[in-house]
Amino acid sequence: MENLLQKIVQTGAGIAIVDITGVPTVDTLVAQHLLKTVAAARLMGADCIISGIGPQIAQTIVHLGVDLGSVITRASLADAFVVALQRTGATINKGH
Amino acid sequence: MPIVKSERWPVRSGEDIVRVRQIVRRWAVELGFGLVDQTKIVTAASEIARNTVDYGGGGEVLVESLSENARRGLRLVFEDKGPGIQNIDEALKDGFTTSRGLGLGLGGARRLASEFSVESRPGEGTRVSLTRWK
Amino acid sequence: MERIPILKMGEFLLVTIQVDMHDRLALTLQDDLTEMIVKNRAHGVLIDISALEVVDSFIGRMLGNIASVSRVLDAATVVVGMQPAVAITLVELGLSLPGVRTALNVEKGMELLRVSLAAPNGHADRQK
Repeated sequence: MENLLQKIVQTGAGIAIVDITGVPTVDTLVAQHLLKTVAAARLMGADCIISGIGPQIAQTIVHLGVDLGSVITRASLADAFVVALQRTGATINKGH
Repeated sequence: MPIVKSERWPVRSGEDIVRVRQIVRRWAVELGFGLVDQTKIVTAASEIARNTVDYGGGGEVLVESLSENARRGLRLVFEDKGPGIQNIDEALKDGFTTSRGLGLGLGGARRLASEFSVESRPGEGTRVSLTRWK
Repeated sequence: MERIPILKMGEFLLVTIQVDMHDRLALTLQDDLTEMIVKNRAHGVLIDISALEVVDSFIGRMLGNIASVSRVLDAATVVVGMQPAVAITLVELGLSLPGVRTALNVEKGMELLRVSLAAPNGHADRQK
């Protein structure tokens, strides 16, 4: 957690995308850890998008009753990236 | 549990609260705590110290460095002879309100510590012990 | 008596907290800021806490109070530079600083203040 937050400070990143694509399962502890990380980043003035949530994990999160609150989540890293771009007011145009 | 070093400090004023933070920071650094752990124990100390001053009528803190098997720890025992806590279970529930801060912050401080205990009886003062292990 | 200096930057006020504040100093800061907002008709307050290694519930409440009082006086408040260890601790403590906008650094904080000034009701993304 510290590493991500330190990186946010160092790079001045307004948005951090936390990709958990490689993570096979999530238990309550991991879910809570993720939520705490997002909360800490927000307190500092940055935001987090959690991406790479597979169907197993999505179901686990609901089953565990974890309240994601206002945390933005996306299934794919690409989708998360789009959200991040939208929030920073940037757009990607297809070249001609 | 072998106590390597211990010191007693007064906790009676706002200035004492600041000093307690500095002392706890120094001890945590000496014990080799990482920055996050340092911050957690110093913040917890600040919360309890403030309770001791604001609600306990002032008291003192015993700062101890512990050594148990391979691990080192820092223990803080805050004591006052104040009015005591009516309902400890209530006090341990998260009580931070946005306005006057009526919550005693005990619940929060407990989450920041590895070990935590509260002893209090109405009219007999309060004793809060928190330990953070490295 | 010692006071924390408040700098005027255009229509904003900038406060940099660099000492471990005792309660009286924190309350004095609140009073001084409130007075200066009125006196200078400031519309934004930037509080730089990048040097603060500890933010406990008292300081957290102070920041919340400053944000609330400023709002009443039609000034937006942004707190910048919170250290990661402090943020992690605040989350564990359960303190969420409601009503306090935050930004990573002074530059982004100023930008946030400018944006909130441009929008008539000062509604900005980051409100917690």
